[in-house]
Amino acid sequence: MTDQAALNTMTVTDTPKARRSVGSIFSWVMFAFGVIYFALPLIGMIEFSLRKRRDAYSFDAYTTVLGDPQFQATFGYSLMMSLVTIVLGMALVLPAAIWVRIRLPKMRPVIEFITLLPLVIPVIVIAFGYLRMFNTSSFLPMTGSVTGTNILLAFGYATLALPYMYRAIDNGLRTLDVQTLTEAAQILGASWFTIIFRIMLPNIFTALLSGAFLTFSIVLGEYVFAALLDRPAFGPYMVWTGGNRAYEPAALAVIAFTITWGCMGLIQLAGRLFPHTRAKR
Amino acid sequence: MATTRGAYISRTAANWAGVVPFLAFAAIFLLLPTVNIVLGAFRGPDGGFTLATMAKLFEPRLMNSFWLSIRVSFFSAALGALLGFLVAAAIIHGGLPKYLRAPMVTFSGVAANFAGVPLAFAFIATLGRLGLVTVILREWFGINIYASGFNLISFWGLVFVYLYFQMSLMILIITPALEGLRREWDEAAQSLGATSLQYWRMVAIPVLLPSLLGTFALLFANSFGAIATAQALTGSSQSLITVQLFAQIRGDVLQDPNLGYAIAFGMIVITAVANAIYIVLRTRAEKWQK
Amino acid sequence: MKFMTLLTGSVSVAAILSASLASAQSMDEIIEGARAEGMLTTIALPHDWCNYGGIIASFKEKYPFLEVNELNPDAGSADELEAIRANIGNTGPQAPDVLDVGLSFGPAAAAEGLIQPYKVSTWDQIPEAIKDPEGMWYGAYYGVMALGVNTDIIDTLPTDWEDLLSPEYANAVALTGDPRASNQAILAILSAGMSRGGEPGAESAELGLEFFAELNAAGNFVPVTAASGTIAQGQTPIVAAWDYNLLAWRDSLDGNPPIEVIIPSGASLAGVYVQAISAHAPHPNAAKLWMEHIFSDEGQLGYLEGYCSVARQVPMNEAGTIPQDLLDRLPDQEPYGRAVFPTVEQQGANSEVVTAQWDAVVGAAVQ
Repeated sequence: MTDQAALNTMTVTDTPKARRSVGSIFSWVMFAFGVIYFALPLIGMIEFSLRKRRDAYSFDAYTTVLGDPQFQATFGYSLMMSLVTIVLGMALVLPAAIWVRIRLPKMRPVIEFITLLPLVIPVIVIAFGYLRMFNTSSFLPMTGSVTGTNILLAFGYATLALPYMYRAIDNGLRTLDVQTLTEAAQILGASWFTIIFRIMLPNIFTALLSGAFLTFSIVLGEYVFAALLDRPAFGPYMVWTGGNRAYEPAALAVIAFTITWGCMGLIQLAGRLFPHTRAKR
Repeated sequence: MATTRGAYISRTAANWAGVVPFLAFAAIFLLLPTVNIVLGAFRGPDGGFTLATMAKLFEPRLMNSFWLSIRVSFFSAALGALLGFLVAAAIIHGGLPKYLRAPMVTFSGVAANFAGVPLAFAFIATLGRLGLVTVILREWFGINIYASGFNLISFWGLVFVYLYFQMSLMILIITPALEGLRREWDEAAQSLGATSLQYWRMVAIPVLLPSLLGTFALLFANSFGAIATAQALTGSSQSLITVQLFAQIRGDVLQDPNLGYAIAFGMIVITAVANAIYIVLRTRAEKWQK
Repeated sequence: MKFMTLLTGSVSVAAILSASLASAQSMDEIIEGARAEGMLTTIALPHDWCNYGGIIASFKEKYPFLEVNELNPDAGSADELEAIRANIGNTGPQAPDVLDVGLSFGPAAAAEGLIQPYKVSTWDQIPEAIKDPEGMWYGAYYGVMALGVNTDIIDTLPTDWEDLLSPEYANAVALTGDPRASNQAILAILSAGMSRGGEPGAESAELGLEFFAELNAAGNFVPVTAASGTIAQGQTPIVAAWDYNLLAWRDSLDGNPPIEVIIPSGASLAGVYVQAISAHAPHPNAAKLWMEHIFSDEGQLGYLEGYCSVARQVPMNEAGTIPQDLLDRLPDQEPYGRAVFPTVEQQGANSEVVTAQWDAVVGAAVQ
């Protein structure tokens, strides 16, 4: 058919609204599929966790888990490690992110490439690298003592959290006009310390919180590093529970999921409580 | 008064002061172990350079593991990409109520991180022998899925579980791309007489193709390196390459201490290639979003 | 002080009983050494295995200055030897001090130089057949191989290994570990082979592998490491394990779901676990204290509470140290009477065949 013939046979079809309703059935089906696939495992895990007492729903699995000294010990350990990792991560990333914006814009691609590495290299490969690099026969024998191994684990966690921490802080800095703020502060005679801690930090507070919660979530659920370094963290405890307990694993999964949700919720809340506006040019 | 040279040195130092801790950390804890792995992969038992260690990767046991990992990753990425795309497209362009969009995206953000051990537990609690769905199907509908051969602890069971974070990651990444499809194109296509299918086939999908393929590559890499979910679900019964490496790290089960380096190196190569494909395609796709 | 009397008690027992202790140290020297070390690293000691939870707790009470660092409770016997090999030269917390491995792993570890000799003060009360004359390894407890069944999922109970091939047990039967690494799994294969008439050793290994190949071909074998969690959650409704483990799991699940423990009606297999101190132990004195503890009355009674029969059972029974209610609680002793205790050589022959051929005969088909 020639173009002219095609143009002649064209008619103005129905309005966009009418057309949508045909596609809608398929859309609803896909949406329903999505909802079912994502919701069912959550419902299943909640239901299973309530089944500890025969023939009656109860929270027995939860009371057992929360009262288990192993749970408390490993959860506390992972909690402490996540705090250490958050501090470590921020201490490494924050200065770098700020410096890159103000003083060394050319290093940006290098820094961003580095923050992508932990996402490209599988976690188990990184863990393997650490164990071969830092065992007692190397120049930095970190596995030779409990403290050394804990420090190594913290650095491992910081590596895993690096991409998320950097992205969160970078996004936060992006909304500030870092250059102008710094220049203005310097003109007014502020020291670097004041600039970073009294001007920038409060403004990127939400971003820092978001990075902190993401790190917490990662550290809490992390299994590979802790298992290979033989540290009493929450991840290996969860795996052990899965093999050795019937209903407690589901309870643990619910707890883990609730904590992740909680963190996301807190990030949203923080975003609303501490709003910052885009710098006007 | 400081000389120009002295001032230059102190200014350079000040310029670099903030990034030095970061770079030092990256050097010691990222680059050094990686370089060590790459070097170790080519080291023989005597310490000299050799390709024999890498050659051992091609023996049946490890080749099978690599192939199994590739298959799991391929299918979970393909299905995750397809289904994730369809779900996201349904919500954004399928005429569904607008208020569904934000919750779906937020939920996908959480679901994409709900990997690892708790995910395996959730699926065992739902589709395991005593899981909710299994029991409901048996009691209410008389369908015994385990008697007809279904088993969650299998290749396809693992792929099915992986879909949870693969689909959600796809939804997260493809949503901005889908939102970037301008309404004008759809309206223009309609006014030219195109059906919905033709619009998708000739306009939307070609525009989205770099994003789709790129995200597929990302999902592939994501699944390839996963281990916690697999260990919690299938134990060591599915001999994925990550499971093999884990066992090799715990103890030299492969009777060659250098083989671990070779396996690690092989994995880095595969995930690096997949991620490179993702980045290249993403850069191309972003041209359409400007 | 209570533990001082215990110590003087065991020292005087040692003085009376044995003329040759492998180490010339006195108990006080060992304790001082352990105090300086401050930590004991154990491996592969699940708390519900022969009541190790209780034994470790009583150890901590006895020596409050020692921290007990427990590695990988789910490790198999071969994994324990690997842990020593992987940590030669490493004095950090990843290196185990003491081992608890299957009988056949003792001589293998000694031959490789992975363990060091030590004779506990109650050495003479340990039966000859389960200890190394040089003091390298020494048996502490034993049990018989049994089948555990989750009766919520399985309706008809099997009575012996052959029953497991029936189609109603599809996707049901599992081992407690990889047969190349776990003593419990390797001996399960031996037990299956014995049920088919094989002599313990290479013959039982071959017949056992044949059985498992048939089990796998019938679709009844589940290649997942089984434990109480997987039995209860349904992945592995039938498990071959030591009777003491199955009983402990039954207790911990407390009827939800109910577990039946069945000793195969044909041949009954008994398995001994031996203890050893790592030759590269970072805390050798703490390790010696641990050994003294588990072979003391307190330690042996701890094992009995976990349904395990112990090495010193006969002398302790004669001395009246075992409370009657503990004896009553022990599993049915009939299978123990007719149980076969494979020797070290027989177990070694069995292990060789199993580790070499598992992949080919069964493993290759496992997806």
